[in-house]
Amino acid sequence: MFLPESMSRIMVVGTKNRMDDAINAFYGEKVIHVIDHTTGDDGLSIGTSNSDVSKASERLLKIRALEKELGIKKRTLTEDIAVEDVRERISAGDVEIVEKEILSVVDTRNGLTQLISELNAKKETLELLSKLPLTLDFYSGYRSISVLVGSVTADPASLNLDAEIFASYDKKNGGVVAVFFRTDSRDAVSAALSEIGFTELQVPSCEAVSPADEIAKIDAQVAKAVEDIDAAEVQLLELKQKHRSFLKGTDEELAIQVEKGSVPLRLAVSKYSYVMDAWVPTSKVETVKQHLEEKLGDDVHIEVMEERSRSIEESEAQEPRFQTVPTKTTNGRVASEFEYATSLVSRPKYQEVDPTVFIMIFLPIFFGFMVGDLGYAIPFIVLGGYGLNKTKNKDWRAIALVLFLGGIWAALFGLFFYGEMLGMHFVGGHLEGGEWIWYHDNVAVGGTAVTWDWLLGEQFPEWFCNLIGHVNPEGTHTGVGKLEDVAFLLKLSVYIGLCHLFIGHMCGLYNKKIQHGFKHAFIEKGGVIMSFFGIIFLCFGLTDFMFNKADITEGLAFYTLVIGIVLLAVGTAINMKAEGALQAILGLPEHIGQILSYTRLAAIGMSKAGMALAFNYIVFSMVMSTSGTGVMQGAEEVIAFDPFAAPAMLILGIIMFCFLHLVIWTLAILSAGIHSLRLQFVELMMRFFEGGGVEYRPLNEARSKTFFKNKISNINEV
Amino acid sequence: MDPSQAGLVAIGAGLAVGLAGIGAGLGEKDIGAAAVGAITEDGSLFGKGMIFTVMPETIVIFGLVIAIMALFVL
Repeated sequence: MFLPESMSRIMVVGTKNRMDDAINAFYGEKVIHVIDHTTGDDGLSIGTSNSDVSKASERLLKIRALEKELGIKKRTLTEDIAVEDVRERISAGDVEIVEKEILSVVDTRNGLTQLISELNAKKETLELLSKLPLTLDFYSGYRSISVLVGSVTADPASLNLDAEIFASYDKKNGGVVAVFFRTDSRDAVSAALSEIGFTELQVPSCEAVSPADEIAKIDAQVAKAVEDIDAAEVQLLELKQKHRSFLKGTDEELAIQVEKGSVPLRLAVSKYSYVMDAWVPTSKVETVKQHLEEKLGDDVHIEVMEERSRSIEESEAQEPRFQTVPTKTTNGRVASEFEYATSLVSRPKYQEVDPTVFIMIFLPIFFGFMVGDLGYAIPFIVLGGYGLNKTKNKDWRAIALVLFLGGIWAALFGLFFYGEMLGMHFVGGHLEGGEWIWYHDNVAVGGTAVTWDWLLGEQFPEWFCNLIGHVNPEGTHTGVGKLEDVAFLLKLSVYIGLCHLFIGHMCGLYNKKIQHGFKHAFIEKGGVIMSFFGIIFLCFGLTDFMFNKADITEGLAFYTLVIGIVLLAVGTAINMKAEGALQAILGLPEHIGQILSYTRLAAIGMSKAGMALAFNYIVFSMVMSTSGTGVMQGAEEVIAFDPFAAPAMLILGIIMFCFLHLVIWTLAILSAGIHSLRLQFVELMMRFFEGGGVEYRPLNEARSKTFFKNKISNINEV
Repeated sequence: MDPSQAGLVAIGAGLAVGLAGIGAGLGEKDIGAAAVGAITEDGSLFGKGMIFTVMPETIVIFGLVIAIMALFVL
């Protein structure tokens, strides 16, 4: 659970003429992580890819282009298709037939789109020309006269030319001008026109029709083309329906074929044989060996080269390409969802503890402790549950799971520990001699704390009050106050931190023990752990002396101080040997920093409770109406909550209440989420985690759209 | 405690948290900017970026502890 799975290195040697079968068999095992061959002086060379690969990748490109044309995306739902059918259709040339069918429609559609844009450009020109009182045949067909037609930006009335000018101009939209002039005066005309911002237009037709008639004709053509495009789109949609399953299935099958065909590039080959080095989980070695021998008979020889220990020295003694062992984590279903959080820092090495399980345990607890409110917890649980149900993306699943589990912890803490919902304690007073006494900070007696029993005008039953935790031994069942019992919460946070850090230090010790042996581990980590405990005892003694005015020369304070100083001295001495004097001494205050860092658990809870207190006071005691006539018995200042006295204020109050609590809830995701993650990443994982592991990627056919019709012909059989 | 003394304690507590917050903010500002830049280049650096970004934050916690000690212990 804590260490990555133990791996063994195998070497597979086989005859080259059955390499394809062998690769299929390797894929069938699903546990073989190939070690890439690098050319050395062993007389072997890197293999060449399978001859079918180039054809398959060419087809794959075609298929992906077609999928793009038809808008078939990764998430498009399609029916699964049998591998046998796909293969049969590929070899029958169906890819090319489907391509032809789809591309002919696509080409038609593209041609029509181009036609429409051309027609629209023509229409724009004609719209300009329609402002002039000429039919289109007037613009050409002269021997000694030239015509310039175009748009202008300034008024053409200023033109003073020896020419016939037709113009239309308005200040807002510019104008159009047609100038008929003797061919030999072209230069003068061009110069004059350029001064009024002239841009020449090509007159499209030379028939004796007016531009307006021509526009009508073009409109009809555009309408027809649009109709044709719609028809082509419908046709494409039909083709998508018809071929999507085949296209996605073929995409998957060809991708697998290409991947399989490229495997020889990772192997070593000689003239007649191939050699493959691979990592296999130790527990699977015998099965793999047996399976491969069954499938390939005498054409294969498998040798188990080693079972790799966790010792760093042993790894470093190996050839470079065998030094790094892939990390196959051994987390269960729930824990593996948290691997995403670990991977945000790095992948664990083969030789170290995988922190995922600790993250799984502590991340939601810290989140819940910081939120600690039943009212906020329920939306977290609902949101998390919904996310887990809906999303398949592993990043979102990890976030949803944290929200879900964190929400459950928040509900538990909210109900049983803090006794709080939406920033309000359930209980705001207690019975004393049969009489109900409000606590002094309750809004009923002029305080600021709104409580649910005051709001509802009902006292909660005793059994319910007894469920809620309390700090004071006298037994006031309001729950632990985030703002009232600050000292207690701070102390609790520090104690939680001590446990958390202790786990981190112990993992560090364990890592070093498996990597280098106990002696090395003791020198490297033992000193740190001793000084960690030394600091704890020392601080305990000192705080007892400072805050509780305990006598430092006798009793508990004295003993803890002495133990602390001794541990600190021994720890620092060991550390000096491991890291040098400067590092050892500089490392001491770091322990205090790490421990105090956990006070954020209480501090963030406090900040949220503070905001909620203020918001609730505004909503219930300032916006919504209260009446002075008490319905509850008790102290003189009792006021009862009467929301119906002013309905408008009631509605305003409810809106404000929802909005303000939504603000706190959103902040809770950010602050509680980020800080609980930080405590794992920085405080816990930095005590032992190095990371930098290599991902375990066994040869495996990832099929989601295709399936084997016949179990006998599946990949386990060659 | 005299009300004016209590007021001074409260001011001191406020300063402890506030100044520590400003200091941490100044520290985090540059690291955060660099981290976001790095994450834009390579998303897998998120975890490391976050660790570096929150490093100076511990200072605020020290400030908070001092403030709480001032308010509740003095």
